[in-house]
Amino acid sequence: MSEHPLPKYESFKELLQYCSKNKCSIAEAALRWESANTGKSREAILERMQTVLQQMRNTVKSGIATNEKSVSGLSGGQAQQILAFMKKPECFLSPMEMRIIAYGLATLEENARMKTIVACPTAGGSGSVPAVLVALEDEANISSEKTVLGLVTAGAIGEVTARRLYLSGSAAGCQAEVGVATGMAAGAVVETMGGTPEQVLNAAAISMQNLMGLVCDPVAGLVEVPCVVRNGLAGVQAAASASMAMAGINSFVPLDEVVSAMAHVGKLMHPSLKETSDGGLAQTPTAKKFTKKFLKET
Amino acid sequence: MTQNSLFDIVGPVMVGPSSSHTAGAVRLGNLARMITDNTRKSVTSVEFVLYNSFAKTGKGHGTDKGLLAGFMGYTVGDSRVKEALALAKTHKLNYKITNHKKANHFPPNTARFVIQLDDGSALEITGHSIGGGKVYISQINKDNVVLHGETPTLVLFYKDKPGMIWQVTKILAEKNINIADLICKRRQRDIDAFMTITMDSMLLEEDVDQIRNITDIFTVWALNQVE
Repeated sequence: MSEHPLPKYESFKELLQYCSKNKCSIAEAALRWESANTGKSREAILERMQTVLQQMRNTVKSGIATNEKSVSGLSGGQAQQILAFMKKPECFLSPMEMRIIAYGLATLEENARMKTIVACPTAGGSGSVPAVLVALEDEANISSEKTVLGLVTAGAIGEVTARRLYLSGSAAGCQAEVGVATGMAAGAVVETMGGTPEQVLNAAAISMQNLMGLVCDPVAGLVEVPCVVRNGLAGVQAAASASMAMAGINSFVPLDEVVSAMAHVGKLMHPSLKETSDGGLAQTPTAKKFTKKFLKET
Repeated sequence: MTQNSLFDIVGPVMVGPSSSHTAGAVRLGNLARMITDNTRKSVTSVEFVLYNSFAKTGKGHGTDKGLLAGFMGYTVGDSRVKEALALAKTHKLNYKITNHKKANHFPPNTARFVIQLDDGSALEITGHSIGGGKVYISQINKDNVVLHGETPTLVLFYKDKPGMIWQVTKILAEKNINIADLICKRRQRDIDAFMTITMDSMLLEEDVDQIRNITDIFTVWALNQVE
């Protein structure tokens, strides 16, 4: 069926070996793997990826077009605040970085409004990947042929990670949601900008180790505080990790071991910090006061 | 852990706000609905019992709306999931949501469906959401099962006797259906057993009927994959 050897990889190390042996990118290896596993053609997979990417653009677009609040009132309107500040003379970040922040916020704000989003890898972590890819298209005129391969790369990083780590805040804390999302987004940027497979994995490792141990402590159990601002920041971290890797910085600990460490940290993490709202920000006086009022009203 | 499709990671396209608590809840509801429909009885009422993180943070995540919408047949990307409570009135669905907050042995995101049927019988289905929208059903009434809803699945209840697996798989082979997993469990020797078969594609309804007509097969449920 395929002219290429079947990509069988159990780890990032084996994925990298496949890429170097067959002189292909991580996106290409992942497309062959998906094709072999599903029986779908490379073209059909890429076409479906394009529709997912289009949904990401749509979510960003509708998210920045409104300042409507969520039902709880805890989120909504921050993406527009960033885009407004971007036009001011005192804005000191580059338009690219500002756009990444705005798009991450916009995606999570739409999520909190119960609008349609793409879980990537989860809904709570859905901001990073669209933030970097859509910002690269809008701000640097990168073609969708390139960003879609970035999205495939993001999928590959998440997929291999998910074989050893449950991607949910209730299983392993926010490190397994936003943490993994930044690793996926960092790798996506490297792939989109023409980096090597080694750089893709280094970028993911650098980004994921920085969010190791991140707890899931949503105020009132809502995917809003701290999730919205956290997703605004996450894309910037991913882009910075991609830049570090493309500058030649290697992660001392390889990505496979970073993932294993994350799974271990997830096991050690106290249940109060795993999406139960029994600890962290959710148990601060401000959060408790809000929660009491919110539960009474709804 | 099992391997995923790239689209399990980059996806699903879903209504927010939580892949485990909203999308997972919709899919559990879809699975419970499919199982219920296979009994060919109507629902008189349904109770959704939420455990652990579902019970503690479900309200904020729309878990109740997700379970309810999913049980009414709405899929994970349907914008009407948000309107589930109002839709339940339109559908005249008699439901109750219970948050079980006491300690228990279930995994973090668990929901139990207690479904009352029009012939007076009840159907109890327990399922779990394990992140990123992925789910599985672990128990139907007293039987332990593993149903992910990711591939077309047959669930068969039959008399425990020689040759049953062969008779069923013979039909699948004739229809050129590839089996992904096949699990058989005996409930009681010489009395009854059940089997779950996940496949790469679903049989036509008439082929399912052919399996239903095998002597000593009591019940066959044909479950399509959930969106």
